[in-house]
Amino acid sequence: MSLKFKVPIFDVKNLSFRVRGANILSNISLEIFNGEYIAIIGPNGGGKTTLIRMLLGLEKPSSGEVRLFGKKLKNFKEWHKIGFVPQRASLVDANFPATVEDIVKMGRVAKRGIFAGFSKEDTLKVEDAMKKMDILDLKKKMVGTLSGGQRQRVMIARALASSPEILILDEPNTGVDMVSQQRFYKLLAKLNKEENITIVFITHDIGVIADDIGRLFTINQKATICNNPKETLSCEEMSTLYGIEAHVISNHKHEHSKDGSC
Amino acid sequence: MLEMFEYEFMQRAFVAGIFIAILASISGTFIVLKRYSLMSETLAHSALVGVAVGLVAGYNPLWAAVIVAVLFAWLIEYLRSHFTLYSDAILSIILSGSLALAVIIVSLGGAFNNSLFSYLFGSILSVSYEDVVTIALFGTPALVLLLLFSKELYFITYDEEVAKTSGIKVKLLNFLLVTVVAIIIALSIRVVGSLLIGALMVIPTSAALQYRVGFKNTILISLFFALISVVFGMSLSFYFSLPSGATIVLTVISLFILSLIANKK
Repeated sequence: MSLKFKVPIFDVKNLSFRVRGANILSNISLEIFNGEYIAIIGPNGGGKTTLIRMLLGLEKPSSGEVRLFGKKLKNFKEWHKIGFVPQRASLVDANFPATVEDIVKMGRVAKRGIFAGFSKEDTLKVEDAMKKMDILDLKKKMVGTLSGGQRQRVMIARALASSPEILILDEPNTGVDMVSQQRFYKLLAKLNKEENITIVFITHDIGVIADDIGRLFTINQKATICNNPKETLSCEEMSTLYGIEAHVISNHKHEHSKDGSC
Repeated sequence: MLEMFEYEFMQRAFVAGIFIAILASISGTFIVLKRYSLMSETLAHSALVGVAVGLVAGYNPLWAAVIVAVLFAWLIEYLRSHFTLYSDAILSIILSGSLALAVIIVSLGGAFNNSLFSYLFGSILSVSYEDVVTIALFGTPALVLLLLFSKELYFITYDEEVAKTSGIKVKLLNFLLVTVVAIIIALSIRVVGSLLIGALMVIPTSAALQYRVGFKNTILISLFFALISVVFGMSLSFYFSLPSGATIVLTVISLFILSLIANKK
């Protein structure tokens, strides 16, 4: 595998997180490479969001190490290479004084020097990100007036404006209707294939994602990494992961069993 | 109407007041959006400790207020980040604690008089030439810093964690913001008074937010309301011999109510 010789975007070794003696995550080791499309699933409280937060330096691990593009987190400076869309990002405060353009421009702020205003390049990148997310016609609208699906695309456009190499999304579909969700997954797949942006996202839509993703991480205090997601989505493994009796209903039109479950 | 400008003290008061309106409304936008509104009240009371020390020890009370307010702002940020305390509880504790300290210092020093009253409620009569110089000396760098970092501060007020993962130095900028706000509040104490300055920071922005416009326009509307309030409030103070802080605050509240009515859903 040629992938093994590349420097991973994320190189995580023996990562653990404890709060007041309770283990939230134990001994997680994983690598994420350029161009991958990875979904993270697991039960609520299993540590998915904590893992993402540690990868981004928002939580300090109890032990273990995270390297970003080969560098230790504390020495990493090229944050424009990372695009992060946090949980409930689309549920923005309706009164916050921001147009769509104001929000997407935020993606360029860290790239500017203190004394510099927005350059022509910044404006072009902002317009380009809005075009990719199909929100250019909304640019002067107040974010608080948009639907959940539109806000979600604004948040991703903001992350794209810094020209990231990796996009990390934590349950991006919170507060978004079904139609927008399907449109959203198509967009993610397009960004991964056409723009070669590495995608990592936390989701509960296990069935919907199975077709597109390259690898699946299941997180419930420990991590299980699966290189063939369709195999992992078996009843037995889902039952073990979520701690309940699970039935997997196949999403593939011609592959499901007669009763639609296993 | 213009006869009030024949008096030198009114000229000084207007220069100081307009400068303070600019500083308070711009910094107030960030304070309101960050849900730090109570912080302005707390720092105003902390500044009073500086005024008390200044009055009793014979130092310039405005300088002492600036120094003490900045120290208290740093203390609040330290407590917020190092202890598991609710932010509003910290602010409430420091608000009452600093007011108690100021009262004790003033009582022990025998300075409980009209001079203190003017720092509580603001007085256009008491704005001296030295005060105007002090306001310009500290206020100019405070304004420059706010404008230089306005885009970063706006990003932080929107989402602190996303700003951090974008490479913005969130801790440093939060520290800078509370320092600048502490300075502005201490400077405002002469014109608006420590009990009322919080209002000049919070109300113009709250009124501007009713118009549901983008960030730049929100700041401009807030600035406009603050300027009108200071000019109109100080004129009322002059003609009716009222404390300037109270007339300014009642003017800005009237603008807030009008904005609420005009933008009712």
